[in-house]
Amino acid sequence: MEKKQQLGYAVPSGVLYVPTVSAPKVVTAALSRIKTFFTGQRYVGALLPLLILGLWQASASFVWIEPVFLPAPVKVVEAFWYMLIKQDLLRDIWASVFIIAQAFAYGTLLGVGLGFAAGLSRKMELFFSGTINTIRHIPTVAWIPLVVIWLGLGAPAKIVVLAKSIFIPVFLNTLQAIRGVDHNFIELARALKLTKRQLIRRVILPAILPVVMVTLRYSVGLSWALVVVAEGISGLEGLGFLIFRAQNLLMTDQLLVCMVLIGVIGYALDRLLYLAQQRLLRWQRGFGGSYA
Amino acid sequence: MLEARNVTRRFGDFVALHDTALDVGEGEFVTIVGASGCGKTTLLRLIAGLDQDYTGEITLNGQRIVGTSLERGIVFQEPRLLPWLDLWDNIAIALDNAPLSNTAKKEAVAAQIALVGLTGFERAYPSALSGGMAQRAAIARALVGHPSILLLDEPLGALDAITRMRLQEELLRIWRHEGVSMILVTHDVEEAIFLSKKIVVMDSRPGRVTANIAVDLPMPRDRSSADFGALKRKIFDALHDNAAVRLPEAEYAI
Repeated sequence: MEKKQQLGYAVPSGVLYVPTVSAPKVVTAALSRIKTFFTGQRYVGALLPLLILGLWQASASFVWIEPVFLPAPVKVVEAFWYMLIKQDLLRDIWASVFIIAQAFAYGTLLGVGLGFAAGLSRKMELFFSGTINTIRHIPTVAWIPLVVIWLGLGAPAKIVVLAKSIFIPVFLNTLQAIRGVDHNFIELARALKLTKRQLIRRVILPAILPVVMVTLRYSVGLSWALVVVAEGISGLEGLGFLIFRAQNLLMTDQLLVCMVLIGVIGYALDRLLYLAQQRLLRWQRGFGGSYA
Repeated sequence: MLEARNVTRRFGDFVALHDTALDVGEGEFVTIVGASGCGKTTLLRLIAGLDQDYTGEITLNGQRIVGTSLERGIVFQEPRLLPWLDLWDNIAIALDNAPLSNTAKKEAVAAQIALVGLTGFERAYPSALSGGMAQRAAIARALVGHPSILLLDEPLGALDAITRMRLQEELLRIWRHEGVSMILVTHDVEEAIFLSKKIVVMDSRPGRVTANIAVDLPMPRDRSSADFGALKRKIFDALHDNAAVRLPEAEYAI
């Protein structure tokens, strides 16, 4: 109170001081985001990574583990920078992402397409299901040698193998989801005289979308892991190739760079699909996670 | 206008509907009452064209009914709104194949939403609507194509008593406004008397019509009047007779 009076004007207590010159919108938006990050619940998600990072740093500082087995975080960041500048890391990242993107596109298109064909016709289902249910039991890794003999060490072989690994769950779940569409909705479509096309677009497709989206997220996660395996088994570039090379050369720092990158990119891919899912399924009101 | 003659529907050995007749005149409000299992919903599904496996004949304006048609709107027991479409689209979907311009469609949907009192909720998803609102939306969907007859399969059965009374009045208002014939299936006798011009009493095993009762009370009907009560008694008796006929038979069988 005294101080304010010394300044020559009185600020009524309880009223927030509002600056007359406001910061640019971008800055205020960023600031409010940071604020909600700390005041809301969002910061909870950052706790565990920070804890792990802290433990990692401690293990380096106190030499709990030999640096050759677990280099300090700073060393890994240095290795990342070195790989980025000197070893064209971006090209390897792109090689891996390119494979998963194409495999995702082909696998999804084929899975949803054939899933619909089988879902809408009993005959088609009988035609496909036996074959696909047999192929399903041959692990993806078991396909790699044959496909590599056919298509060589490059990207096409991996795309084919991974597209298959995405296709199978997408096909099966699409088919199953169509079988599970509420019969009452089909009856409604008949009462409304919808054509088969309209039935698919306005009833069946939205009805199965929750299942399909979860399947896509699941199978993309699985395939991203398989990209690494496939590149490790056969290939001359990509994150999987780098990670196995680093192991052979005992370059643990580079190995860790690849591991972190694989994790982060996998997370980003899932996040992307999650956002698409949220957008497409905004009509759905399910359990939000708070129960009190 | 709508005529059903000698309609029989079997499910295997079970006779759901036996030699049933029904007449609904132009703009008439007819209610079918009966215990569960009497075939009232079966009859409505036959008229809707959702079920075509029957013998006998059902005609609308002299034409035999084949399959479903927008001429015959239907409201189910539950609202059956598509959860991924908002209210507007849930109603507009009924006009997907209507031979109308987009402007005409928009006008029709807006008018129908206004008629059932849901203006302002056009962009709400079904999960955000109350049971009564959802059923209003279902009625709007059935009416938006301007059918010549509206089929209502216990549409108010799942609602609470107060909402139900309010919607009964709404139904009357809509019926007067649209001048559309209506067939209502219900097991609520009071609802039947309050709404209809004619009450068809049905019984089970086999499902058949046992009485046609005209309702001559003036509109709007007073649920607490003596005449209303007397008619209620008459219909209860008709329903009870159905049960009474069966009971002694059962006793003799023992």
